[in-house]
Amino acid sequence: MIIIAITGILMVAAYFIPWAPLQGVKGVMTSWIVVISAATVAMGFVYMTTSQYKLYQKNRSTLQLVYTVTPYVFFAGFLISALAYPGGSNSPEYRWWFTNIYSNVGATIYAIMYFTLASSAYRTFRVSSMEAIALIAGGMIYTLRQIPLFQVYIPWIVPLGEWFLLVPNTGGGRGAVIAAALAALVVGIRTLWGKEVTLEVSG
Amino acid sequence: MTKKNQTIWYKMGNIDYRWLYVLSLIGFILPVLQPLGLPVQVSSGTIGYYDAIDKLPAGSVVAVSFGASAQLLDEQEAQFLATWKILFQRDLKVLFYCPSQDGSLLLQNELGKQVIPESYGKKYGVDYVVLGYAPLGEAGEASMSINIRGVYKADWNNKPLDELPMMKDINAAKDIDLLIYFYTSCTDIEFPIRQWVTPYKMPTIVATLGCCGPMAVPYFPTQIQGFLSGSGMGTELEVHGKVPGPGALMSDAKNIGILPFLAFFVLGNLSYLGKRFKWGEVKTP
Repeated sequence: MIIIAITGILMVAAYFIPWAPLQGVKGVMTSWIVVISAATVAMGFVYMTTSQYKLYQKNRSTLQLVYTVTPYVFFAGFLISALAYPGGSNSPEYRWWFTNIYSNVGATIYAIMYFTLASSAYRTFRVSSMEAIALIAGGMIYTLRQIPLFQVYIPWIVPLGEWFLLVPNTGGGRGAVIAAALAALVVGIRTLWGKEVTLEVSG
Repeated sequence: MTKKNQTIWYKMGNIDYRWLYVLSLIGFILPVLQPLGLPVQVSSGTIGYYDAIDKLPAGSVVAVSFGASAQLLDEQEAQFLATWKILFQRDLKVLFYCPSQDGSLLLQNELGKQVIPESYGKKYGVDYVVLGYAPLGEAGEASMSINIRGVYKADWNNKPLDELPMMKDINAAKDIDLLIYFYTSCTDIEFPIRQWVTPYKMPTIVATLGCCGPMAVPYFPTQIQGFLSGSGMGTELEVHGKVPGPGALMSDAKNIGILPFLAFFVLGNLSYLGKRFKWGEVKTP
């Protein structure tokens, strides 16, 4: 808790006071954060392993074993191609894995999501309240404004879509950002003060 | 089957949704086979984005935070190809850095192949530099704005930054004239705002996915001078900047492909309203 408070106070001070030593501390600390972020990948691997192991313990079928092993096969493939060839993750071998497997699998998932989202919206999204009507009206007009077909044959959709984006959306968005910023400020002050409940529980 | 189930109101709400899949697929494929070539209207966000680059004096330094995603390439490819062409057409110094590993690999796959800086008379290390991947996040952006060499000691070919002529006088926000921020996670718009715009008044333009545009707009035109949202606005940049690319084809495919969804969406709601006002049914499926 003391470490968090000292770090937080130093970073806040560095943001507002343009004093060289403080800026130096800020530079070092932000570099540390980059290193810590990289280390969390290893933590994620541990969490994934624990989770996969538990899933397999619950369901010891062959299919579940395939599901459990598959991520590790690909993990090993990516790791070996990044470590075993000159150039590391810049090597043609690693880029082959990236371009032909990772990119395509990812794109496929997003493509499938379109169909599931579209069919579920057709079946469940209804104009049953004022909020839903506002959401649908704004969404439809903004979407139609993006489509060249409507830009050509219904030209007034363009200024209307722009207006929805730049006026009601901006007003609502700014309100949300300000509210979130104030809430973050409160959480930040509580954290520096050592009063944040989540830290007490985990700490 | 009851009489109610025979009415148009019920039928509209109970169409087999696999028809939606089929019609969408046709809508996606048709424009690929036969491009529509419809005129595009350029929006204020795109004009602001283009103008922010166009008004830079010769020799200005542009930092490109390239956090594009390989899975969502269709949304951003037109944006970044058009941006690179516009940048390399001008007398600017361009510094690429990648807060996502996808960004680094996409740069390797596309820079020098789709857009060749040398064909614009640019030389690596003198007119442009690529710094590769670092897991930056918001803290990393803050770090970059203070001390680039604190995050990157070398470029993507492991050449020390001090050996690159362009990097001689570039090490912090004060040395940069424009930030172009590519991102795919909608709330990441706040990273450049908090770490580049607020402390350094850095002129900034952003490019993101179609769904993230509405979250970037509240910062336009005060904090960000322009924005691109999805392949549609990527196409607008191609048209406005006179740098043709793949945007028109991708936009046509997506725009026509989404029409069946909109039609089904309207039918589903007409069915709901019909049932509600005719029989007082208010229960949603």
